[in-house]
Amino acid sequence: MTAPLLEVQGLAKHWPVKQGMILARQVGTVRAVDGVSFTLNRGETLALVGESGCGKSTTARLVLRLIEPSAGTVRINGADITGLSAPELRRMRRQAQIIFQDPFASLNPRLSVGEAIAEPLVVHGIGDAASRTARVHELLGLVGLAPWQAERFPHEFSGGQRQRIGIARALAVQPDLIVCDEPVSALDVSIQAQVVNLLKDLQSRFGLAYLFIAHDLAVVKHMADRVAVMYLGRIMEVADRRSLFANPRHPYTRALLAAIPHPDPRRRGKVTPLGGDVPSPLNPPPGCRFHTRCPLAQAICREVEPPDVQIGPGHHSACHFAAELPPPEHDFSGGLTPVAARRLALFAAREAG
Amino acid sequence: MTGAPLLAVKGLRTSFRTPNGDFAAVDGVDLSVPRGRTLGIVGESGCGKSVLSLSVMGLVPRPGRVAAGQVLLEGQDLLTLPPAAMRHIRGGEVAMIFQEPMTSLNPVHPIGAQITEAMRAHDPGATDLRARAIAALARVRIPAPERRFDEYPHQLSGGMRQRVMIAMALACAPKLLIADEPTTALDVTVQAQILDLLRDLQAETGMSIILITHDLGVVAEMADEVAVMYAGRVVERAAARDLFEDPQHPYTLGLLGSVPRLDEDRPRLLAIEGTVPPPFALPPGCRFAPRCPFAVAACEAAPPPLREISPGHHVACLRAPVELAA
Repeated sequence: MTAPLLEVQGLAKHWPVKQGMILARQVGTVRAVDGVSFTLNRGETLALVGESGCGKSTTARLVLRLIEPSAGTVRINGADITGLSAPELRRMRRQAQIIFQDPFASLNPRLSVGEAIAEPLVVHGIGDAASRTARVHELLGLVGLAPWQAERFPHEFSGGQRQRIGIARALAVQPDLIVCDEPVSALDVSIQAQVVNLLKDLQSRFGLAYLFIAHDLAVVKHMADRVAVMYLGRIMEVADRRSLFANPRHPYTRALLAAIPHPDPRRRGKVTPLGGDVPSPLNPPPGCRFHTRCPLAQAICREVEPPDVQIGPGHHSACHFAAELPPPEHDFSGGLTPVAARRLALFAAREAG
Repeated sequence: MTGAPLLAVKGLRTSFRTPNGDFAAVDGVDLSVPRGRTLGIVGESGCGKSVLSLSVMGLVPRPGRVAAGQVLLEGQDLLTLPPAAMRHIRGGEVAMIFQEPMTSLNPVHPIGAQITEAMRAHDPGATDLRARAIAALARVRIPAPERRFDEYPHQLSGGMRQRVMIAMALACAPKLLIADEPTTALDVTVQAQILDLLRDLQAETGMSIILITHDLGVVAEMADEVAVMYAGRVVERAAARDLFEDPQHPYTLGLLGSVPRLDEDRPRLLAIEGTVPPPFALPPGCRFAPRCPFAVAACEAAPPPLREISPGHHVACLRAPVELAA
């Protein structure tokens, strides 16, 4: 195994909270990301999943140094980017790009789509005008748009098409890593499926690695090779996809899985809500951060921060009782009925043919 | 199902006037909601599900208007009511909650005052409003309701705000609650809490619910009957179980195939090609025909009628069931 493409060690972002207008003094610290470590290999997808406020999007931005980390290191292709100067950082960004959640907000409305996609090429001084135009047309084709659409402006496109434009722009400089920050959350389900399929196709074609930020575990199960579950700025559990879904070893992961309603009325009433709300990151609970909502919390959880428990190869859980938890109760059997599955297959065959 | 439905929508057509001519956001919709049951309305953006609910509430924004049809609540046509009578129904017998509770709550008033305002509007002589509002907050399981009464919306989490909206909607004991994407803006653990709450409150009060959502999981969890909408029309309507076990319309199939599932490993999602047609360029026949892999010439000629293929299961497709078309 060669060195990982992306290696994140002890990454943290603490925002000061100030009070007073002129002589502002710091009255607290929001620990948005508080000591996060993970690795990502070439061609692999690592999903960061969690509820709002868990720090997953902040982590995405820290990884590209779009915001400055308070602590920790980020290595891309072995080089630590936390100490780079601005020109060095710009060179680094040829290797790592980002796609944002909101395709409406992430495109400049005054640039034509062709200009938007060519911009990274201009910034990095790649090619001349003619070769850039050719490249833009090629990129549009890759994401399922037509070359003539390069002359159009963002408002002329639907949400799904704009997300395709964002993907084309990220691909322009041939990066190794794309950080996908909730790339399909704002899209309708049928469009979401188109974009998910496109991301998977592009990955197998170009060997891209994705850091995939999401809150929808079903999408994550479909996209990811490995999954890290975040809560209040920390990683609670990390595992390969199969182990995480078959044998979750953190009560928070289990709570997330149990809260998802299945598209299957035969399994109605199996959703188990987790009580309470996410506590404020301004004042995270002592001990295990999840203990205020954890149905299995003991005295030790309120006082001692849980160690990192290794369950199996690549499977870690930050829970005092990770090894002793009873077998998970959720049941992922079921699926489509035979009639529905047969009709779906017909639909797919017709669409392909 | 025994007895008359609580709500019956017949031939509803709601159109918007634009410089390019009128277009119907809801075009000939028939629905009914039995007492004490939940009707799920599923569809993607632009399918008309929100305009449909606003039409029922008499809240269609200009330049839109209800052009045809009836909205019968216990046999009374709400569309013919004078505005004052409709105001009495709205918030009284029919209440509504929305996707984003922060934009539906007034940020400058404490939540308690906003709940009592609704109570006073429907019952001017009411007394001990504070106690009733606190009871309403307690009923939606808000912890320490006495303290929350004096708090402002920004002091509450998203889930708590949606609970306040539900408390407000239920303050006058409505017979019908219209919930328009009530959990879309919430985290999945909070969503589960809200769905649980709605189900308990329905069992307690016997109210009917219209649940509008794009999430097939939420529909499967909550709805007794489901209507699937596409571009302003109902394309399939059935008991929830029948819809998921025996989906008929190609659009329903496409939706089911687009959703990644936890109970299945598929290498590839079924994506419906193309996008929803814009309202000013609707195809003359079946509106799904341009995206439908089963479409034939007849589909493009005239809109397919909604026909009953088994008791209670209606589909508007000439080609259903699709295995016969293949």
